[in-house]
Amino acid sequence: MANRRCIQTLISRCFCISHSPNPSPHPILKTLTIAPHFLLQTEYSTVQSLTPTDPGKICSAFPSFSRHLCSDNRTSMGSIDNDGDEEEEEEEDDDDDESEDEERVHLSGKSDEQKAEEAAEIGYKVIGLLEESDRVFKPYEPVFAVVQVGSHQFKVSNGDSIFVEKLKYCDVNDKLILNRVLMLGSTAQTIIGRPVLPDAAVHAVVEEHALDAKVIIFKKKRRKNYRRTKGHRQELTKLRITDIQGIAKPEPIPSMKTEKRATKKVEKTAVSA
Amino acid sequence: MALRGVWQLNKLIVSYCDWGGSSRGVRAFMESHLPAFKEISPQLEVVTELNRGQHPYLKGLYRNKNERVVSVKNMTPEDILPCATRLRNSLGRKVVKLKTRHVTKHPSVQGTWTTELKM
Repeated sequence: MANRRCIQTLISRCFCISHSPNPSPHPILKTLTIAPHFLLQTEYSTVQSLTPTDPGKICSAFPSFSRHLCSDNRTSMGSIDNDGDEEEEEEEDDDDDESEDEERVHLSGKSDEQKAEEAAEIGYKVIGLLEESDRVFKPYEPVFAVVQVGSHQFKVSNGDSIFVEKLKYCDVNDKLILNRVLMLGSTAQTIIGRPVLPDAAVHAVVEEHALDAKVIIFKKKRRKNYRRTKGHRQELTKLRITDIQGIAKPEPIPSMKTEKRATKKVEKTAVSA
Repeated sequence: MALRGVWQLNKLIVSYCDWGGSSRGVRAFMESHLPAFKEISPQLEVVTELNRGQHPYLKGLYRNKNERVVSVKNMTPEDILPCATRLRNSLGRKVVKLKTRHVTKHPSVQGTWTTELKM
């Protein structure tokens, strides 16, 4: 945009110079040679090289670079005044629009790193990979963890589901790691963090992003003719806890089912034989 | 909207009218945002139905045979997209006030506390 503005001003200045009462060929030729170059650097270097020869005229040709508008030239060239004012207003508008656009870009379009940082700070989560036919849903293990998400803490075990304030940067079926773990416990051992356990991790999967039921906020001041009704639905995220890491889990007892199956098989083979 | 990795929304029906002004937003949505929405959720069956003379709505059919209807009358395409996304992101469960924010089948690991417990 800046390049286009410069070239536009260049061309307008060239025409004005050409229309001016004393058209000197040198600045015109020099400006015309500069116009095709669309690089700011080359233009600026040429400005610097030309300044000792015709300072006034060249300054007028490049007002947008240094913002030092040559008032002497403006008063001398009567025909340029209107154009100059218009260009000034246009430039200011462009700059305002650009700054607003930049602000909007900064607010809305965050980079992935910023998103991950925010997520890590506010929600204490790190987005892992999406679900890809992994065997993530294991049977229950007698291990619990106290986890903090945002400002809420939960005592969590394998296979539990948690309703949390809406997590911004994750979609349904995403794997998360909740890294703010305050306590771990199993049947034999308890590990307390001060305040956080650094090596512990709790894996979770995002199940749902949904709205809670509507809560009606009703305000009334009696005998004062004041009554207000407001409806509110909180946005929640449902997480299902899949794994807790950082503590030695007790070995699962060999189930009775496998033993029964083994005995049945032995009987069948005996019968067949 | 995935219970244990299984997507819950089976079908999304976009019902619109080609004459009415209340369907203007939905018609624009179908041209602009619907293809992208279909790409984001490939497992979802999205159907567009022409329903002349009626106001437009989005109908979500879930795995638990639950139907959720959202009216999109007089809405802009930018407003309809979060509606569709919300239908896609939710389970088909009834919208009831939550009793607890932590749902578990095994509340105790080390044994439930009682007054007679000796540490």
